[in-house]
Amino acid sequence: MIKNCRIIKDLAQGGQKTVKLAEHPNFGLVVIKHGPIKSFTSLERIKREVELLTVLRSDFYPRQHHFSIDVKTREFEIVEEYIEGGTLREAMGTLKSTDEIFRLIYGLTEGLKIIWDKNIVHRDLKPENIIIRPDGRPCIIDLGIARFLDLEALTKTISPLGPCTPVYAAPEQLSNNKRIIDARTDFFALGIIALELYLGVHPFDPIFVGNQYSIVENILQNKFILEKDNVSCDKRMSDFIQKILQLQPYQRFRNYQMLQSYISQNVIS
Amino acid sequence: MKVYHQTGFRYQWNLECYQSGIGDGIIFSPVNIDADKLLGIDKKLKSAGFLDPQLYLLNEAKGALETYPYFPGNLKPDFSTPDMDSSHVQLTRLCIDYQMANKFRFIVIPTRHYEENPSTFFSQSNDYFITPFCDYIEEQNIKNEILLSVIVKPIMLNDVEKRNEVLNWITGRQKVEGVYMILENSFVGKQIKDFEYLFNVLKFIRILKDNQMQVHIGYTNTEGLLYSVAMPDSITIGSYENLRSFGIKRFRDQENGPMRSPKARLYSSRLLQWMDYQYVEAMRHLIPDYESYFDDSEYRPLMFKPDYNWHFQKPEPYKHYFKIFYNQVRNLPEKQSGRIDFLKNEVGNALSRFKEIENVVLLDDDSNGSHLPTWFNVLNAFQKELAQ
Repeated sequence: MIKNCRIIKDLAQGGQKTVKLAEHPNFGLVVIKHGPIKSFTSLERIKREVELLTVLRSDFYPRQHHFSIDVKTREFEIVEEYIEGGTLREAMGTLKSTDEIFRLIYGLTEGLKIIWDKNIVHRDLKPENIIIRPDGRPCIIDLGIARFLDLEALTKTISPLGPCTPVYAAPEQLSNNKRIIDARTDFFALGIIALELYLGVHPFDPIFVGNQYSIVENILQNKFILEKDNVSCDKRMSDFIQKILQLQPYQRFRNYQMLQSYISQNVIS
Repeated sequence: MKVYHQTGFRYQWNLECYQSGIGDGIIFSPVNIDADKLLGIDKKLKSAGFLDPQLYLLNEAKGALETYPYFPGNLKPDFSTPDMDSSHVQLTRLCIDYQMANKFRFIVIPTRHYEENPSTFFSQSNDYFITPFCDYIEEQNIKNEILLSVIVKPIMLNDVEKRNEVLNWITGRQKVEGVYMILENSFVGKQIKDFEYLFNVLKFIRILKDNQMQVHIGYTNTEGLLYSVAMPDSITIGSYENLRSFGIKRFRDQENGPMRSPKARLYSSRLLQWMDYQYVEAMRHLIPDYESYFDDSEYRPLMFKPDYNWHFQKPEPYKHYFKIFYNQVRNLPEKQSGRIDFLKNEVGNALSRFKEIENVVLLDDDSNGSHLPTWFNVLNAFQKELAQ
């Protein structure tokens, strides 16, 4: 599979893997991920992600074309669909109105409900993991640390921090309270993303909150801003945020139907 | 808000009253009725209610429990917790199949009872009951609504961490529509007079309702009226005291100690109180219009005859209560704010009546409405909480 691909350019290189853009004669533009298998846990995570993406077959997720493991070199290779567009991080500033943000969040929940219905939690939702296609539809990438609630957990219970990107993590991830991680954990990340889009800054950033704590500490203390100098508070947005950014999961929307229903009732146009 | 019959010993009284239009459904008790007999009961009596599976103690063969196909002792002699690892799927299937064969409205997921819940309680409940139940219900394409049995201990209401833990657990299962909530406490006395406890119960129900869950509260006494202001979906009426207050003793194979016969009592919606019959007798002698403090029903003429032999096993006081309490609930205002004001007013009226009575007849703490000031304060506190 990979030898049929023509490498176009490097997209990213880190400790975990290299990511290249390539062209395949049948599939067109593809992304090739290559990296070492550092442990049984990392292998299991990769396998779970690949198996999931193979069965999803939705425009909300990139398609998987190929997966292989080299047991001698302990390396993996994945070939998946290249999603045209830019990350939501790159699109920050273009989506600002409450209606635009609500529509994006609603669109994301349409994609995420596919995995939530399978008892899977993404656990790493952030602007870098959301690609906005040229027609505006979102695509969700990197299910590498998704939590499969029906399968055995891969994180040690004694770890102080669960797998996550801390500044987009829900309090229960930051305290590695695995027992209460479910779709509502992803709701919290969606809340941060929505408010960051609205304000243009991270809502838990101590610079704007006005304290000396870190973003993570502010998340754990539920200290965030709803407005800043040049962005005034919008009641629809603040009501949404005050429901979704609650410390305890039971204080948030109980399920995606309730979340979607709230948005549907509050989008003006 | 609906009112279900919490059945137990003498469940025929409940069935008779239900057939005469008293109550909105029946909660059946396996300890008190053989499995085959329950299957033979007219489906009309079951279609609005549900089964309390009563696996609280897993393998205590109390009463008729062992006649139920899902009773663990029928799966393996001397069944114990470790056997759940290999038997939970079979138990699930038998329990759901039995509930479906009876055509109940709800499918109820059982729970176990512990004096103190172990640290593994939630994970074991998920593994042994909730997950297999939800999986089998999906596999069989069963459309009945699902209720999760939850025994709520005082510590789950009063301790913030425990409360968060149990609420996150209850609300975390997407396929569970509601809760069969059983309040367990060890208060002494016939009525609960603990402000914090009652206020926390209301807040707990409110959180579940905010999560759009159905809340069916089992084993309620007159506190059901107070709980109604948190807008639960149902409360219960039960005959004997052990059906109006949950105690695990009722499910033990051999109850500890000698059985003590309780004094017969009469419920009054005007006093919001069950009153010891001896005080009713005293009032008959000392208060000319004493009957005005009690409700009318077809049972009243018999009970108020001078030669009525009051006894806790006679049906009239209970049937009277079913009717009076059910009508009292039906007359509650639909809206929450109106309901709170209405009950505050009812409490005030009841307290005034007690003052009149106690000018002539002194009452003990289990008959004198001494819980009502607490009710009034709880109603005020909850009203304030809602306004915030």
